Amino acid sequence: MLRVRSHGRGGQGIKTASQIMGTAAFLSGYQSQDFPLYGAERRGAPIVAFTRVSQKTILERGPISLPDLLLIGDETLLEDPQAAPICGSDEQTVLFINSEKDPQILKGSFNLPSLPVTCGLTKLCLQYLNDGMVRSTALGAAGARLTGRISLEDLLESVEIELDVMGIAGQPLQSNLDLVREVFGALNPVTIKEREESALSPSKLMVLEQKEVQDAAPIITATRNMVQRKTGNWRIHRPEIDYEDCNNCMICYARCPEGVIEMDPEGKPVIDYDHCKGCMICAQECPKHSIKTLWEMDYELEPQ
Amino acid sequence: MIQIPSHYKKVTDLHPREEIAPGSALCAGCGGLEGLRLALKELGENVFISNAAGCFTLLSVYPFTPFRGSWLYTTMGAPVPAAQGVRDALDIQRDQGELTEEDDFQVMVVAGDGSSADMGLSPTSAAIHRNLDFIYFCYDNEAYGNTGFQLSGASPYGSRTQTTPVTKDHPAGAEMRKKDLFEIWKSQNPPYIATVSPREPIDLSNKFAKAKILKGPRLFICLSPCPPGWGFDPRDTHVIAKLAVDTGIFPLKEYVDGQVVHTRVPRKRIPVEKYLERQKRFRHLFVPKRQDEIIQKIQDGVDHYWEHYS
Repeated sequence: MLRVRSHGRGGQGIKTASQIMGTAAFLSGYQSQDFPLYGAERRGAPIVAFTRVSQKTILERGPISLPDLLLIGDETLLEDPQAAPICGSDEQTVLFINSEKDPQILKGSFNLPSLPVTCGLTKLCLQYLNDGMVRSTALGAAGARLTGRISLEDLLESVEIELDVMGIAGQPLQSNLDLVREVFGALNPVTIKEREESALSPSKLMVLEQKEVQDAAPIITATRNMVQRKTGNWRIHRPEIDYEDCNNCMICYARCPEGVIEMDPEGKPVIDYDHCKGCMICAQECPKHSIKTLWEMDYELEPQ
Repeated sequence: MIQIPSHYKKVTDLHPREEIAPGSALCAGCGGLEGLRLALKELGENVFISNAAGCFTLLSVYPFTPFRGSWLYTTMGAPVPAAQGVRDALDIQRDQGELTEEDDFQVMVVAGDGSSADMGLSPTSAAIHRNLDFIYFCYDNEAYGNTGFQLSGASPYGSRTQTTPVTKDHPAGAEMRKKDLFEIWKSQNPPYIATVSPREPIDLSNKFAKAKILKGPRLFICLSPCPPGWGFDPRDTHVIAKLAVDTGIFPLKEYVDGQVVHTRVPRKRIPVEKYLERQKRFRHLFVPKRQDEIIQKIQDGVDHYWEHYS
């Protein structure tokens, strides 16, 4: 059985990518299973999705902790301790990272277990879909191609099926199909060594103890400790204020839902990049257009 | 007639202190969060929040809180009974001299439209009946957003939700009209009701400034554009919020002293389709075929509403 795990952020189409792979594998004559896993967090927060592909009936359930193929749709996740996308992979795992960087540099910077396969999907999405995100189709196509088991025809049909459910038709669908062809052509299948299927054994039931409410209910006694959670790595775009042009009108400050734009003692707005989620409302709302939209990826850390 | 302060004139008047710390897991560009942020800027830190299950569950995730004040998490139907319990406890402490007026809390319910219009409506009605002294902040994103955008009592006619998909037999998606929570509350004649928009911080802040000196049940309905649920880029949250007001779909108004006053009347209402066409939840009204009849029905609803006021 081939086990594929996909990582990305809510809104990037990671769940749909796993569905595209699953459906494409099914159309190519395999048994398949796909499902996402995310907490209460939504857009921008790390999410993970799984696809199992096998010639036999798939009895295994639940998250994949030891993937054979690991797809990372957003390279900023590599340094996110909450997402920990590399977790559970070893030298045997084939790594795919949506990145324009040199695989050697990525391996060194992030201490990867093997040399990753890379492709700049974000740029391709921008080119085909006018969208600066990894879309489901691009990542799904990359995953399907790398397995070497799915034909382009089955992949295209799968994309049509999955996008139809989402109400995407006409020209947007054609653009997605063109994108799939491009990604399929840009990558070559890799040799993936599947792991042995271990026999399934039932685990013991855990009996939970009833505790007094003061012990059992979560109580937080600190105030405003939420600042310890950094949401800055959610960003795909980065707002940057052009202070030459800014007239300190405070519109960005008023409009920022997170309240991460502070007015400094001189009356200038300052963005807290540790927490800014990159919604880009400030850039949209700035009356003087003094806030630029930059790619977050240009700000990535340098190799060690 | 109650003398009510109205001291906000421009955005530079906004309180510089942030009551909600960043770092919460709410979606980037959440319109409801912007509404609550502005509200708490005016209300200050002595606020006790009783939070119904919903998107705003994510405000405080153990072991983190973004607030200076207290926050209590309740089920979807029970934020108001919880607020009643807390208010009663505070009142007892006040009576026994254990709590001074300065240290007392403003009890505030924070609930989504699902809780406000559906599950929590019956206990809310009972609390208004008992004249419970509390502020109710409803962040209205017009569906059950946190669970993946299912139909709620506040979902508008013609919108696509997870539970009202667009099919051949149901070309409009949601076929029910949005419940008018403002009118539901008004029928019980509470001291204050207002609708607010995150795009109008001055209007919003002035309304909270008025409400905070009143006693009894006070309602705020905050239109909360929802990037993932409504289907638009997070950067456009305020653009959508502005269009909701300019098209007349979301009237900004308040109810004080038994009178409804519109605080912002669009001079010339722009056609509703300008608001609808920017959101994926209404895309089926435009592609593959334009559904003039449904769009017109939405426009007629808005026109009918404003006939009384202009």
